[in-house]
Amino acid sequence: MADKSKLGFEFPTGYFQVQKNKIAEFAAAVSQKDSINDIKNIYRDEETAKSDGYINIPIPLTFPTSFAFWTAGGIFGIIDEVGADVTKLLHSEEEYEYFAPICAGDKLTAKMRVAEMYERGKKERKGRYFEITVLVTEIFNEKNELVLRARTTFVER
Amino acid sequence: MKINFDNIQVGDTMPSYTSLPITRTHLVRYAGASGDFNPLHHDETFAKAVGLETVISHGMFIMGIAGEAITAWIDNKHIRKFSVHFMGMTQPADLNDFENTKNRATITVTGKVVEKFTENGEKRIRCEILAEDALGGRKLSGYLIAALP
Repeated sequence: MADKSKLGFEFPTGYFQVQKNKIAEFAAAVSQKDSINDIKNIYRDEETAKSDGYINIPIPLTFPTSFAFWTAGGIFGIIDEVGADVTKLLHSEEEYEYFAPICAGDKLTAKMRVAEMYERGKKERKGRYFEITVLVTEIFNEKNELVLRARTTFVER
Repeated sequence: MKINFDNIQVGDTMPSYTSLPITRTHLVRYAGASGDFNPLHHDETFAKAVGLETVISHGMFIMGIAGEAITAWIDNKHIRKFSVHFMGMTQPADLNDFENTKNRATITVTGKVVEKFTENGEKRIRCEILAEDALGGRKLSGYLIAALP
């Protein structure tokens, strides 16, 4: 059961540099390619990315999942911090808002907080009672501009 | 064809995208790439201990596949929002019974433009997204918002 005193908790600020090889690895995983030679050029070739209007190789849409959680010690760091039970936990919703492109080489700062904690249903009704935790992560670039907001919803069943 | 705001209409569909049948190897590759090492996604003994028949895909892997479907159609830089609700678990195909298990692990992503509007001085579309397996099991639904030239 999630610890409701954690509502509003702010995780320590995380710092990341977006790495070209990590983008390629992630792009290969979501496109189910065995080799990074088979991924789209935009995810492996700087010149292709630049001719498409990016300052460097851009990230795939869901790539922020590979770094956002590390601000809190990874997925298990988060689960421990909010006191959730990993054996009952499901990821129920994910949302990204993109305010500016994120590209290889970018140095980012991530601030994650426990934005919401609430229950749905009645405790006595087994299988009909859920505890919900919403994490919001805001990612800033070197100019301290907000480039991305991620909203992650977990349910304990 | 490059899409732009004027040549897209409400009711238009996103080109559908179908994944390869997801295997345990795909899940391990995604775990490494994403850093999500929840054992539910690779350790059969853990999955069984929590009452599942076998390992299941990361929901975020299915969302990643949906992201591939979207960016095959609209450039990353035009996407303003991508939001999903996870609806069902996905078991990978079993290599010792591939023919009977591949359909549960093959994800098709479809989408339909539901709105054209102006926001923040940009011409935007809202497109609903659905990911289903080849047996009709729903995996996620959601939407994207894109700002188009």
